[in-house]
Amino acid sequence: MKLGMAIDLDRCIGCRTCMVVCKNHNAQPEGIWWNRVFTIGSDEHQVATGTRGAGYEMAFMPVSCQHCENASCVKVCPTGASYTADDGTVLVDYERCIGCRYCLAACPYGVRQFNWEDPAKTKGVDEDRYCYGYPLDSLDKGRLVYTRDRPQGVAEKCTFCHQYRVEGEKPACVRGCPANARIFGDLDDPTSDVSRYLDGRPTSRLREELGNDPKVLYVQAGARQKPQLVYGEGM
Amino acid sequence: MKRIPLVIGLAAVVVGAAAWVYQLIGGLAVTNMSNLFSWGFYIGCFVFLVGVAAGGMIISSSIYLFDVQRLKPFGKIASLSAFACILAAGCMVIVDLGRAQNIVQMLIHPNFSSPLVWDIVVITLYLVLTFLSVYFQLLPDCKRSGKRFFNRWIEKRTEAEIDAVSHRWSRIVAIVALPVAVLIHTVTALIFATQNGHPWWHTAMLPADFIAMAVASGGALVLLIALAAIGRAHWREHMAGLATIARIAAVALAVHFFFVAVELVLLAWTGGGESAALLQSLTGTCGILYALEIVLTAAAMALFFTKAGTSRPTLLATGSIIALAGTLIHRLMLLYPEFASSSLSFTTATGTEWLYPLSTGRYLMTGQAFASTYAYVPNIIEVAVVLLPFGILLSVLALIAERYPMVGAPASKADSPLR
Repeated sequence: MKLGMAIDLDRCIGCRTCMVVCKNHNAQPEGIWWNRVFTIGSDEHQVATGTRGAGYEMAFMPVSCQHCENASCVKVCPTGASYTADDGTVLVDYERCIGCRYCLAACPYGVRQFNWEDPAKTKGVDEDRYCYGYPLDSLDKGRLVYTRDRPQGVAEKCTFCHQYRVEGEKPACVRGCPANARIFGDLDDPTSDVSRYLDGRPTSRLREELGNDPKVLYVQAGARQKPQLVYGEGM
Repeated sequence: MKRIPLVIGLAAVVVGAAAWVYQLIGGLAVTNMSNLFSWGFYIGCFVFLVGVAAGGMIISSSIYLFDVQRLKPFGKIASLSAFACILAAGCMVIVDLGRAQNIVQMLIHPNFSSPLVWDIVVITLYLVLTFLSVYFQLLPDCKRSGKRFFNRWIEKRTEAEIDAVSHRWSRIVAIVALPVAVLIHTVTALIFATQNGHPWWHTAMLPADFIAMAVASGGALVLLIALAAIGRAHWREHMAGLATIARIAAVALAVHFFFVAVELVLLAWTGGGESAALLQSLTGTCGILYALEIVLTAAAMALFFTKAGTSRPTLLATGSIIALAGTLIHRLMLLYPEFASSSLSFTTATGTEWLYPLSTGRYLMTGQAFASTYAYVPNIIEVAVVLLPFGILLSVLALIAERYPMVGAPASKADSPLR
């Protein structure tokens, strides 16, 4: 079993719904975003780049944990707190992490996040107030890989929503995407949703040259050739 | 007057320990680090201390390996400096941990593919070896002064027997410790050099360059401690030995500059892509720090290569301080070019490289959830916490130096093979 995800860049509308549902469902504290979407080359999201002469472009790029087969973070983790589960996902055992942040330095994709302070404090919650996020702990073979209230000083990142997968549900970003740009499933199973979607479609992976072998595949955006825009006088 | 170093050392330990407790309560949020600049001043100081520790023992071992008699008086200081520095380096890793209370997990579940685990193994081994080196070299002093140092057994032996044991075992430990000294710095370099996502680190040159800097900075610290231990009145008698250490440091710096030059030529010649980005960072955003590193290390090298620079104790001390400062900046420069900006970039439609923003993890401090660059400067808490390992280093040096004579009699000119 090799769980992976396809992200169809032609379908992505840059709405950032996946960012928000990910943040909420996984109870991420302030400043921590497991999943990000930005407009390539633009300082502002949803603002096109380019020039009048060369034409304009607005390409959206969602990036979260790539769940690498040859994961740098797993290899460098001194305690094995970061590990590859039997289903191929890369997880963090919050009870074993010592907070050395070697994984943050090692990850070529910058998806690793650190709890610099007590997450409960940054979320401004206490026992009486509502706290967003899935409330129950989620264990993988006895190891704590999801908990709403993360300990201070541990690393965290996307788990492909472990707490939902154990219930047979898909990750929140996949369910939440209004354009169905994310397709999730077992890459080893040719009949899975993701395998059938990927069949025949050109894909690319981030920083392929490093040999990390990511399990997130980007279905390439179609024609880069954009129709010529014609401006009237005075524009 | 004689107790001043010990008092300063213990005061630093108290301040550092208080700052560390404050950090344990508030989390690493009390520092200026972020998800982009995730290793800061602590790791810079850790690498610096490992280097100085390795250099100390390399100097101490070469006394036996090359039979350099004029360095013999400084054997104890070099070994003691190595021991104190590696102890401080170990403490430095611990204060950097976000969840130090889980440290026992490292012993229960060590992951042997992690260079950090290799480093902990060799650092522990080195700690034991440098302790033994100090222990055996101190035996004759303990016998003569009657001050014991975990060695009650020597009371039953004669002075001549103790001298023989001390010489024999100091030699064995020195020879065993030399490869371990090389190893601690090689493995520390491998923590970085194994990371293929970081072009500034991912080079086989890094471990070799680390060792060159280790010999230079280790030699510089031995010089400083020796000058302090000898005392102004006796500087003249030891000048030949001190000049030799300075010359060794100068040669090591020259080797370092060889590596720097080769690296810069490769970056400039390759051009484009990562090489161009790295070169731009070295001359642009990190330019001042990089220039400072080069100027300081070059000045120390030049000073130690001249006859005037190695014949005046004040200049030796000045050169050593400059070399140590340059080395510390060199260690920080390991981090700046890689962490000052996002590790992920995309090529835009117009062909320019665009940095993909990362989550800062420090929204409450910076007011920014995302950033593609991060200007890191260690804050007052980080400086205070660092006083704990450095305070331990100084206290250990002062405690031992206060009880035992640290510098042996200078070798007579006749039996020095390097004349």
